[in-house]
Amino acid sequence: MTNHTVETATPTIRLVDVHKSFGSLTAVKAISLEIHRGEVVGLIGENGAGKSTLIKILTGIYQPDGGTIEVNGSEVKFRTPRDSVGAGIGVVHQEQSLFTNLTVAENIAMSNSSGSGTATRFGFLRWSNLYKSAEETLAIIGSKLNPKTRVGDLSFVDRQMVEIARAIRVRTSEGASPLVILDEPTSLLERGETQILEREIRKLKSFGSVIFVSHRLGEIMRICDRVIVMRNGEKVADRATSEVTEDELFKLMVGRESHSVVREHGALDRAETPALEVRSLSRKGHFSDLSLSVHPGRVTAILGTSGSGREEFCRAIFGAEKFDSGSLHINGVAAKNWRIHKAVKHGVAYVPSERKVEGMVGGFSAAENLTLVHPGTAAFGPFLRPWAQNKIAQGWFDTLDVRPNNVNQELDRFSGGNQQKVVLAKWLSNPNLRVLVLDHPLRGLDPGAAQTVNEQIKAACKNGTAVLLLADTLEEALEMGDDIVVMRDGVISGVYDVAIDDPSTLDLLEKMV
Amino acid sequence: MTSTIIATEPAVDITKQSRARLAHRAGKFWRAGGPAVIFVAMFLVVAILTPAFLGGGGFTIVASSAAPILLVALGQALVLNIGSIDLSNASITLLGAILLALTLGPLGAVSPLVVLLMVTLFGAVNGVIVAFAQVPSFALTLGTFGIFQAAALVVSGATTVYVSQNAGLITPLYTSAVAGIPLTFVLGVVAAALAWFMLRFTRVGQGMTAIGKNESGAIFSAVRTRKLKIVAYSLSGFMAGLAGITIIAQAGSASSTGLGSDLLLPGIAAAIFGGTSISGGVTNPLNVIFGALTVALVPIATAVIGIAAQAQNLVYGIIIILIVALTLTRSRNAIIK
Repeated sequence: MTNHTVETATPTIRLVDVHKSFGSLTAVKAISLEIHRGEVVGLIGENGAGKSTLIKILTGIYQPDGGTIEVNGSEVKFRTPRDSVGAGIGVVHQEQSLFTNLTVAENIAMSNSSGSGTATRFGFLRWSNLYKSAEETLAIIGSKLNPKTRVGDLSFVDRQMVEIARAIRVRTSEGASPLVILDEPTSLLERGETQILEREIRKLKSFGSVIFVSHRLGEIMRICDRVIVMRNGEKVADRATSEVTEDELFKLMVGRESHSVVREHGALDRAETPALEVRSLSRKGHFSDLSLSVHPGRVTAILGTSGSGREEFCRAIFGAEKFDSGSLHINGVAAKNWRIHKAVKHGVAYVPSERKVEGMVGGFSAAENLTLVHPGTAAFGPFLRPWAQNKIAQGWFDTLDVRPNNVNQELDRFSGGNQQKVVLAKWLSNPNLRVLVLDHPLRGLDPGAAQTVNEQIKAACKNGTAVLLLADTLEEALEMGDDIVVMRDGVISGVYDVAIDDPSTLDLLEKMV
Repeated sequence: MTSTIIATEPAVDITKQSRARLAHRAGKFWRAGGPAVIFVAMFLVVAILTPAFLGGGGFTIVASSAAPILLVALGQALVLNIGSIDLSNASITLLGAILLALTLGPLGAVSPLVVLLMVTLFGAVNGVIVAFAQVPSFALTLGTFGIFQAAALVVSGATTVYVSQNAGLITPLYTSAVAGIPLTFVLGVVAAALAWFMLRFTRVGQGMTAIGKNESGAIFSAVRTRKLKIVAYSLSGFMAGLAGITIIAQAGSASSTGLGSDLLLPGIAAAIFGGTSISGGVTNPLNVIFGALTVALVPIATAVIGIAAQAQNLVYGIIIILIVALTLTRSRNAIIK
């Protein structure tokens, strides 16, 4: 690790006292950092800690209010993203920004503003050169993708390769070494794909440097040489990963101890009426002959790959999608003509994975979102009582530590973790909550928010709610689940009682694929 | 070095903060009061240029011509608020007016109620088709616009239908006034206040706005989106019927080409001047009142000031663009389609 820093005395990039504020909010406070050629530096922090702002400064989207940025020893000012690309900084976004209807080569050329303009002549594209240069760029990262493939036909991880190729498309020949920023590249990747990405990152080290943003501390420890921790817009730590533990990082990030409480498993009383009982539920082409029951206070985690039909199954329970045959019972009552409003009336709740699209009405205030489904005292018959709305919302804000503490702010202006707290509270505020269906509830959440969400799920269980959980990771399923159901190609391939069977991650993986 | 930063940073922050806060407040004030400010400013300009306008009951003229526009615009605003559009409402107004002219004689006081029931059903038909067949509202209401227009032609026999008897039941709406404001306009203001209350203080109104802001999010929050779409279109039909009543009150007759046959575009313009977003989820019926007054004032003002008849449409067009630029509700980073 040290030999990298010796290799080049001037850092690839150096920030001195960079700060940036928006109105009254200071997003980044006097950040100074250096990144050298060949280094992989992790950047972590809670949602809203200022990571995104820092990255947007590095990529020329925001201009800092003060401080200096140096690239290879000379001071630069990024006025537009073009300037940043020209200086050899590329970014791979969390939500991919590729043009899916164009080819790989076109996508790579799209960011080509650095003057190696052999791909065009008199403003017209020269296809042969376009393909050739794309192939060369892909070769640098060791990818054998065909540049003529349409990006829409690629797998997720291959698309990420294209993003990386696009990011490193800079003038390496002139001695500049590229800096690639990976903004939560793994949050949507499956396990195997993550390994491919890790291999790519190691390749990048040989000729450039990497900033790796992730919420998964395990990954950070494995991949990065050094890690920078941000909290409330400040750099609170800059350590070599060899000198720090995951728990320490958690504490630095969140400002409190990590207490991963092992959940005591709810006692199973089979005589009791299950809160959710499914008998041979089928939907053609999606899932068939599914039977399971979840008792009050128990968590059933469903595992499966993306084509396993588990998402469709969960949505069918909420009445958001249809089923063809079989039956569904909520607290012993058979579901007939099942629609969302009926499911909700029977005490079923659903936290969707597509939070921004399905989970919330972004233009409404947090208070309005929170009381939209179960207004409680915020409604008097058909009428609304906005003051009661605010009071209820304030109660949840205090319980869940939602920041900023302003119930009247529009929900889409909160960070992802805080949005998810509000979405969860929207359903938890139902006093008659029976079945809570959670579709990837921790997706994109920082560890602090994830912990709050998990605590609330456990609290709901204590109050007798049955939970159906589509977990992001096997570890999450094992931590939260009393029962684990594994699905493959629309059918159940394995059922485990965690307390009795104690399945290993390997057992579970085998049943999944 | 650090000391200088500490010394300068707060000062920078404070001016920035106050400036941002000021901009925020100004934006809020403009969204709330902009439409009123524009109307008052335009009215004052006309009054100063042509003082006789005020003496001649200028405001009464503007208000009575604004009344049907306001009622149609309120219905339009409610439909725009759920993220749809109702191109058929002005033709419902005419059909309603013709039906009223035909039935007022034989049915008397029951006639307006029957007509209002019918126009509400016409609106509901729009709503049912939009909600269940999922036909884009623009295409659907363009179609029903033609159908209602054809119905108006057939029902009226393609001539002007005069109220045979009982005209006295309706005309006072136009002829009487409270403090110089004709009752037709007062009717519009009351309707606007009720619409405002519904959107602000009822679950039905909240659900409608939720649909306009994010329909998927509303569906997954158990909002009865289909029902509420039908309600919004029914209200649009109902308001269009009220506009039809004001036309009979004013003219005592109705025909498919007569008074009120060109309410569609002024109605949309008035809704937008009132701060209603075309993409849904944002409207304030109280501001639509000023939107309608402004739309009614522009042609009157161009005539009063003495702009040549040929240039009036030109001036009208320019002013419309200016007002839209000033009042259109824009959200951050939104792409205006």
